[in-house]
Amino acid sequence: MLISNLEILPNHRIVRHLGLVQGSSVRSKHVGRDIMASLKNIFGGELLGYTELLQESREEATERLLAQAQKIGANAVLNVRYSTSSIAAGAAEIFVYGTAVEIVADD
Amino acid sequence: MRYENKQAPEGINVSKVHPLKQFAILVIASVALLLALVLVLQFAGSAVAKRIPFKYEVQLSQKFDIALSTPDAPEEIVTYLNDLADRLAPGLDLIDDFDVQVHYREEDVFNAFATLGGNLLFYRELLRQMPHENALAMVMAHEMAHINHRDPISGLGGGVVSAIGVAMVTGRSGMAEQAFSQTSLLAGMQFTRQMESAADTAALSAVNQLYGHVNGAGVLFELIGDIKADSDAVPDWLERISVTHPLSKDRVAAIKSLALHNGWSEMGELTKLPDAFNDWLRQ
Amino acid sequence: MINVIGFVLLLVVGYLFGKYFEKRHYKSIIKREEQFNQLPAIATKYPPQDQVYQQQLVSGGVVIASDYFKSFVAGLINVFGGRVTPFESMLDRGRREAILRMKQNAQAHNANYVFNVKLETSRIATGRLGAIEVLAYGTAMIPAINPISAEQDQPSATPGA
Repeated sequence: MLISNLEILPNHRIVRHLGLVQGSSVRSKHVGRDIMASLKNIFGGELLGYTELLQESREEATERLLAQAQKIGANAVLNVRYSTSSIAAGAAEIFVYGTAVEIVADD
Repeated sequence: MRYENKQAPEGINVSKVHPLKQFAILVIASVALLLALVLVLQFAGSAVAKRIPFKYEVQLSQKFDIALSTPDAPEEIVTYLNDLADRLAPGLDLIDDFDVQVHYREEDVFNAFATLGGNLLFYRELLRQMPHENALAMVMAHEMAHINHRDPISGLGGGVVSAIGVAMVTGRSGMAEQAFSQTSLLAGMQFTRQMESAADTAALSAVNQLYGHVNGAGVLFELIGDIKADSDAVPDWLERISVTHPLSKDRVAAIKSLALHNGWSEMGELTKLPDAFNDWLRQ
Repeated sequence: MINVIGFVLLLVVGYLFGKYFEKRHYKSIIKREEQFNQLPAIATKYPPQDQVYQQQLVSGGVVIASDYFKSFVAGLINVFGGRVTPFESMLDRGRREAILRMKQNAQAHNANYVFNVKLETSRIATGRLGAIEVLAYGTAMIPAINPISAEQDQPSATPGA
């Protein structure tokens, strides 16, 4: 399964557009991490716990996006976009969407 | 080029979890976490509070402007109780600045307890049930031992620290305020079983030193046992795990074995209460 | 005690009503999605070249609140960390509803496709109770009946249509 945020793939031809596919993941860190993060807010710097959290979420969201694409018979997802939003205090959502397509390589 | 919308199957972006099952697991885990937090904070709070010197504890308790004695309590009974405390004191392994004030409360409550600042409270109904001085001396020595072991302040310290911790986590401040309130001085402290057993041991030794024997020391627990047997039919095993005080019959047995172990005589002449004792406990 | 009863009542009411509304909403979403699959939403910028199209920006928005039960469970999950599953269905419903409303808007314009679809999610309620807004927008591709370019190419087109 190919995933890209390009619209046109070099040396490939899009045969079919299968529509929008999406993946999302909402996660939260345990309360200890939240407390550490609020302390870190005093000093500034990277919130490692949250970087990790969002990375995990991004991976899961991408997996779900690919699962949808695979289920509807696509072999690539193009023009992929990620967005992050805070859904509740301490819980962040990663959302990814793109267009599912069937591609063939040019001869 | 063909453009179409294919329907993706359900359940990819929504995890299959039963909400009620998840709810049950989360609630149980949260309660366990909260209990663990309370236990840790209680332990830490009482350990720290125990290190506060006794004289500061006395000063702190004097800040509570509350009448511990019934205002027009007969002077004789207060004098007698304080005198008994003074006679028992040498038998205890006293801490620095040790000092107790015995207060008499003219209420028909079968109770006596030790509270902050070396204050002991004796209720009329308990005194009325005392058959002889030896029984009363055991109760007195037991409460004095609590003061000597710093049980009230460590109980309060643990209670306050854990209440503040819980209030911080749950966002409810009611418990913390309650722990700080003046009525907590009159409400009686909750001591652990270990505290009670340690106080029993120290008290028995003090009673033995004063009278030369421990005859009659277990009377209070026999009385409590009788009252409990009359009032409710809670099975022994349930009481063993649920109440902070050791079971009365276990305490009687503990006293017997302690006396045997230390070679304290369980035979000896019982000291009578003063002749006018019952007159002092006027209606 | 009254607090506790009120709290339990809110949980029960939240659970039962939340479950009922969610079930009903999903039923309606699935039914309408089948209808609207005739009008594909595509997340690509390059429009089809098979015929001449007019363009129209279309959008659909929806605000969905979580129920009391979900918010409470999400709060507990926040203590331990992990997947906040109660909000997953809320977000899923919000997105699909927003896309459907966008398509409905496009259908009102007699469009064949919606291109370059974009989705925006934001949290609009503060405090313990959560609510999210989802906005879906894109360019509706409407087959041109009488476009300027079509007039040049096909002079025989019905005038004034």
